Amino acid sequence: MKIRTLQIACAVLLLSALVAAQDVASFEKRVTVKKLANGLTLIVCERPEAPVFSFYTMVDAGSVQDPMQQTGLAHMFEHMAFKGTDKIGTKNYAAEKPALEKVEAAYSAYIRERDKRVDQDQAKLKQLEKTWKDAITEADKYVVPNEFGKIIEQNGGEDMNASTSLDMTEYHYSLPENRLELWAYLESERFLHPVMREFYKERNVVIEERRMRTDSNPFGRLLEQFTAEAFSAHPYHRPTVGWISDLNHFSATDAQKFFDRYYVPSNMVVAVAGDMKPAQAIPILEKYFGRLPAHPRPDESTTQEPPQNSERRVLLKETSQPIYMEGYHRPDYRSKDDAVFDALSDLLSEGRTSRLYRSLVRDKKIASFCEGLTGYPGIKYPHLFAFIAVPLPGHKPDEMAEAIHAEIDKLKKEDISDDELKMIKTRSKANLIRGLADNEGLATQLAIYQTRYGDWRELFRSVDRIDQVTKADIRRIASQVFTDTNRTVGIIENAGSGGAPQQGEQPSSGAADQGGAQ
Amino acid sequence: MKNLLLLLLAMATTLPAQHAAGQVTNWKQIPVPQLPAFKPQQPKRIELSNGMVIFLQEDHELPLIDASARIRGGSVNEPADKAGLVDIYGEVWRTGGTKSQTGDQLDDFLEVRAAKVETGGGPDSTTISFSCLKGDLDDVFKAFVDVLQNPEFRAEKIDIARKAMQDAISRRNDEIGEIAHREAVRLAYGPENPYARIPEYSTVGAIIRQDLIDWHGKYIHPNNIILGISGDFDSAAMESRLRAAFESWPKGPAFPKNNIQYNPAKPGYYLIPKEDVNQSNIRMVAMGTTRDNPDYYAISVFNEAFGGGFSSRLFNDIRTKRGLAYGVGGGIGTNFGHPGILQISMGTKSQSTVEAVQAVDEDVTNLTKEPITEDEIQRAKDAILNAFIFRLASPDKILVERMTYEYYGYPPDWLDKYQAEIKKVTAAQVNAVAAKYLHKDQLAVLVVGNTKEFDKPLSSLGPVKEINITIPPPPEDKEESKPAASNAEGKALAAKVAAAMGGLPKLQSIKTMHVNISESDAGGPPSPVDVYVAFPDSMHVEMQIPQGKLTIVASPQAAFMSLPGMGTRSMPPAQKSEMLSQLHHDLVYVAQHADDSAFSFAANGTEKVGDVDAAILDIGGAIPWVRWYIDPKSGYILRERYKGMGQQGPFEGETDLADWRTADGLTMPYKHENKQNGQPTSTAEFKKIEVNPQLDPKLFEKAAESTAGQQ
Repeated sequence: MKIRTLQIACAVLLLSALVAAQDVASFEKRVTVKKLANGLTLIVCERPEAPVFSFYTMVDAGSVQDPMQQTGLAHMFEHMAFKGTDKIGTKNYAAEKPALEKVEAAYSAYIRERDKRVDQDQAKLKQLEKTWKDAITEADKYVVPNEFGKIIEQNGGEDMNASTSLDMTEYHYSLPENRLELWAYLESERFLHPVMREFYKERNVVIEERRMRTDSNPFGRLLEQFTAEAFSAHPYHRPTVGWISDLNHFSATDAQKFFDRYYVPSNMVVAVAGDMKPAQAIPILEKYFGRLPAHPRPDESTTQEPPQNSERRVLLKETSQPIYMEGYHRPDYRSKDDAVFDALSDLLSEGRTSRLYRSLVRDKKIASFCEGLTGYPGIKYPHLFAFIAVPLPGHKPDEMAEAIHAEIDKLKKEDISDDELKMIKTRSKANLIRGLADNEGLATQLAIYQTRYGDWRELFRSVDRIDQVTKADIRRIASQVFTDTNRTVGIIENAGSGGAPQQGEQPSSGAADQGGAQ
Repeated sequence: MKNLLLLLLAMATTLPAQHAAGQVTNWKQIPVPQLPAFKPQQPKRIELSNGMVIFLQEDHELPLIDASARIRGGSVNEPADKAGLVDIYGEVWRTGGTKSQTGDQLDDFLEVRAAKVETGGGPDSTTISFSCLKGDLDDVFKAFVDVLQNPEFRAEKIDIARKAMQDAISRRNDEIGEIAHREAVRLAYGPENPYARIPEYSTVGAIIRQDLIDWHGKYIHPNNIILGISGDFDSAAMESRLRAAFESWPKGPAFPKNNIQYNPAKPGYYLIPKEDVNQSNIRMVAMGTTRDNPDYYAISVFNEAFGGGFSSRLFNDIRTKRGLAYGVGGGIGTNFGHPGILQISMGTKSQSTVEAVQAVDEDVTNLTKEPITEDEIQRAKDAILNAFIFRLASPDKILVERMTYEYYGYPPDWLDKYQAEIKKVTAAQVNAVAAKYLHKDQLAVLVVGNTKEFDKPLSSLGPVKEINITIPPPPEDKEESKPAASNAEGKALAAKVAAAMGGLPKLQSIKTMHVNISESDAGGPPSPVDVYVAFPDSMHVEMQIPQGKLTIVASPQAAFMSLPGMGTRSMPPAQKSEMLSQLHHDLVYVAQHADDSAFSFAANGTEKVGDVDAAILDIGGAIPWVRWYIDPKSGYILRERYKGMGQQGPFEGETDLADWRTADGLTMPYKHENKQNGQPTSTAEFKKIEVNPQLDPKLFEKAAESTAGQQ
C-alpha cells in the first residue's frame, strides 16, 4: 500500500511540472482582452495551428430571465437570431418593416380575443385570426429565407449553432481565417439590427423542438417534472424550451423587448480563438462590435429559493423502463466550496474507478449506469448536486436509492483515501490540458470564465482550487448537503404497456391550440 | 440592362452612407483575402514486416500522446446467433484485464495518471486506444500492449457487459428516435443484414467467454491492425519503441473479404404505433452507395443543396416555410466500406404526420420539375470547398483521414482528389444523381407515432404494413440447457476441489449425511435447522420456526411439508424440483462426480473474490448450472452462484463459503452467506456434520408420525 501511494505522489509531481507549460503565464502571451467603450468584452486567443478560427458569443441571459407568462422566450430569441437583419434576409426592409408591424397589431388583437374568459366572440375570433395570418402572408413576401445562415454556410461555416440554457445564451461557429472581418460584421450585425421576421412559423419549429425533447421522450418528461419540483420559487423550475401555453402566447414584440433588455454589450462576451494576431484582429473586431449601442447592464436580481425542509418526490408511471434520480440543493458557483462539489462529482462518477460505478455497476450489479453530477440545471444560481441511476432489468428504483445513500453515508462517516484525493487532483489538471486542444474549446472556456468570474485566468485557477480540497472538506460538504430534507427524488416507474402515458400537453388541445401560421 | 441600372442605383444610395459611417453596409462589400497557402503536415507511414501499418503524427502543442488502433473484423463478422458478441468483446477486452493484471487493477493504475486505455467494437472493426500525458508514456504504453496482446476476458466482466446489453435491449423501445433510427436501417438493408441486425436476449445469452477468446485469436494479428499515434513525441524514438514492441509479433492469416447481402424492404408505408408521444418520427429510406462510386462527388453537392444545412431545400421548405419540423434533413448516404442509406428524416407533431409526408414527397417530386439550379449548386460547392480547410484543421484530423483511407483501400491523396472533383461537378451531374437514386415511389416510408392523433390515417397514402417491435423475451434457463463443454482446465479444477474436500474415494463413499445448521435470515435471530440427505435424490429438512417445527421432504416417494396446526401439504412440482436442484448443487454431491463424464466442468477465467484471484468453474450437464469460484492455492470453493426459484420468481443465487474445517475425513465450509439478486438473504453456520449416519427410510416418506407428527 505504501509503495502505491509513493507511485501516485511521483505521478502528481511529474504532472505539475508538465502543467506548468500550460499555465496562466503561457496563456498571458496568447490571450488579449479588450473591453470596448460600449461595455462589450472581446477576447482574442492566438492559436496558429491552422488557418481557421472559432468564436463563442456569450450573452449572460438565459431562460431564468424569461418574463412571467413568457417561458421559452430567451430560447425563442436565440432562434430569431438566425433570421437576419434589416439588410440580410429581406428583399425590401422599408416595406417589410410596416408589414411586420401589422402582423404584431393583428396578433395582439387576436390573442386578446382568444384569451377572453367570458364573452368570447367566435366569429370575431375567426376574423381576427384570419387578419393576423393574412398579415403574415403579406410580410413573408419580403423575406429572403435563411439568408443569414446561407451566407455563413457558403463561406465555409462549420458547426454553426447556438444554445440557450437557464443561465445563458451562446452562439458559435468556425470559419476560415480570411473570413474574420466578414464574421465580425455578421455577428455584430445580428445583434445590432435583428428583425423578428417569420416569428410565428419559427415558434412552431420551437414547439416541435419541445415535442421532440420533452413531450415525446420519457426522460425529458422526467427531467421537466423533477426540476419543477426541486425549485419552488427560483426560476430554475421553468423549462428552457417553455411551457406550451406560453409558447402559444408570446409575440415577436415580446422577443424584441427581451432582446432590447438583455442583449446589451455590457452583458456580452465574445471570444475568438484561432490563427490571428491580436494587433490586427482587435481593430477589426472593435470596428464592428463597437457599433452596438451602450446600455446599462440589466438588473440581475431574481427570486431566491428558500431552504428546502422536506423531501419532495416525483413519480412518473411510464411504459418505458425505470430511471432513478435525486438532487440536493447546493450554493451557486461562487461558493468557496465550489471546488469541493467538483471533487465530489469526480470521486463519485469519473470512470470505472468511481465509487458509484464500483458500487452499483461492478459490485452490486443492480445498475447499468450511475453518476453524481454538480451543476444541474445551471450553475449561476443555487442549484442541485444530482444523482442519476439506470437500474438493470429486475432491479427497482428503490434499490438505486438505497445504494446511492449507502455511498453518501460512507462519504459522511469515513475520509476518502489518499489515493482517491490524488486521483481527483491529477485528473482535474489533465482535463484542463485536454480542454485546450482546439479553437472551439478554447473560445468556449475563455468566454465562460470571463463572464462568470470577470477574468479568464480563473480557468487555470480552478485547478488550484481543486488542489486545495481536503478530506475534511469532502466530509463536511457531504454531511451538510446530502440530507433527507434537502432531497428531491424523481422516478420513472415501469407501469407496463397498459399504463397511462404522461403527456406534456393534453392530446385533446389538438391543432386548434397550436396557434401559429400553418 | 434594367437590372444593371437598378443595381447601380442601389449602389449609389448606399455608397454615401457607407462613407459617412466609415463602415460597410452590405456583407458583400467586405473583403475576403486569399487564404494563405496551407500545407498541413502528413503523418509518417511505416509498415512493419508483419504487415502492421503505423502512422506517426507529431503534434507538440500540448504534452499529450494519443493513439488509436483500428483492427479488421467487426460485428458484421459475428455469427447471427451471437449478435452482440463484438459489443461485449469490445468492452471486456479492456475491463476483463490481462493475464497479469485484472481490469480493476488497470483502472487504478491508469486513472491515477489521468490516462486511458480503452477498447471498443464497431460494425466493421474493433479499436484499442490510449491517451496519456507524455511523461507517462512508458507506463501507459506497457499497459496498452498488454491489453492488446494478453487479454484475459475475466468472466465477472463478461457478466457485467452482458447485463448492460440486456438492459439496453429492455430499453430499446423507450425512445421514439432510437426506434425510428433502428427500424429505418432494417428497412434499408433488410433485417437480417449484418449492418442492420440487433442483439436479442437469446443471442446475448449465447455468448460465452470462449467466443471472446476465439475472436481475439482470429482477428487480432499485426497484419489486421492500423495504428495511429499523434502528440508530443519524437517520431524516430516512437518508431523504435513500436518496432521493439511489435516487429516480432507473428503475422496471422489474411482477413477474408466480407460478402454481405442487402435485401431492402419493398417501397411503401411502414408504421410503428407508439402511444406515449405527440410527435411522429418519419424516415424515408432506400439504398445509398459507396464513396468510391464516381457519382460520389455529384452526390455530395446534391446532398448539400437538397438536405444539408440552412441553405438546403428541405430545411427551407419543411422547417422555415411550413414550420412543420424542428429537425429535418437527409440525402443519399455514402460510406467508405459499404453502401450508405438514402434517408430523409424529420419529426413533426402527430397532427401533421400525413401532411409532412406529403410535403417531403412534393419536395422530392419537385426535383424533376424544378431541378437543382446553378445558383443552388454554386452555393453548395462553396459551402463544401470553403469548409474543406476544417478537414485539415488539426494534425489529428489528418491522421484519422489517412487511417480511414488506409483501412478501406482508398488512395492516400483521396482528400486532395475530393477537393478537385467537387470543383468539377456540374448541374447536369447533380440532377442526374438525383434522378438515379431518389424516387418518391421507391422509398420505404417509416412512421413511428401516436396513430390516434394523426391528421389522417397513414393508409390514406397507400397500403400500410405495421412493424411489430415487441422485444422477444429471454429464453428460459439458457445457461442450464446449454452448458459449456468440459475443458481440461475445468476437469483439473474439479479434481482439485475434490482433493481439498478429502479426496474422491472418501467423497464417493458418502451415501448419507446429517447436517445441523444455525440459520438466520438477514437481520433475524438464528434458528436451528437439521438436514438429512440420502444421495442422490432424497432430502428431509426440519426447521424450528415460531409456529413450531416445519418439516420439508423431497424424495422419489414423497414431496410435502408439514407444520403443526397446518397439517401436511404436498409440495408443488416446481418446488420439489427446486429442492432437488439444491441437493444437486450440494458441494459433496457435485464433488462426488468430479470424474463423471455426465457432468461438465468448464474453467472460465478468474475473478476477484475478496483478495483472491479465484478460478471460475462452470458446472452443468447432469445438473442445473452452478458456478464455483475456487481458491487456486487451497482448492477451497470461496463462492458459488446458481439460478434459483423463490416465492418472488426466479432469482440469481450466490453463496459465500468460509470457515473450512475437517471432520470425519470430510473438509467442508462451516459458514455460508446467501444472497439473492445481490441482496443478502440469510447466513448459515454449520454446527455439526455427520457422514454416513444411519437414516430411517421413513424420513423420506409421507408418514406424519415419523416427522413432526400431529399435535
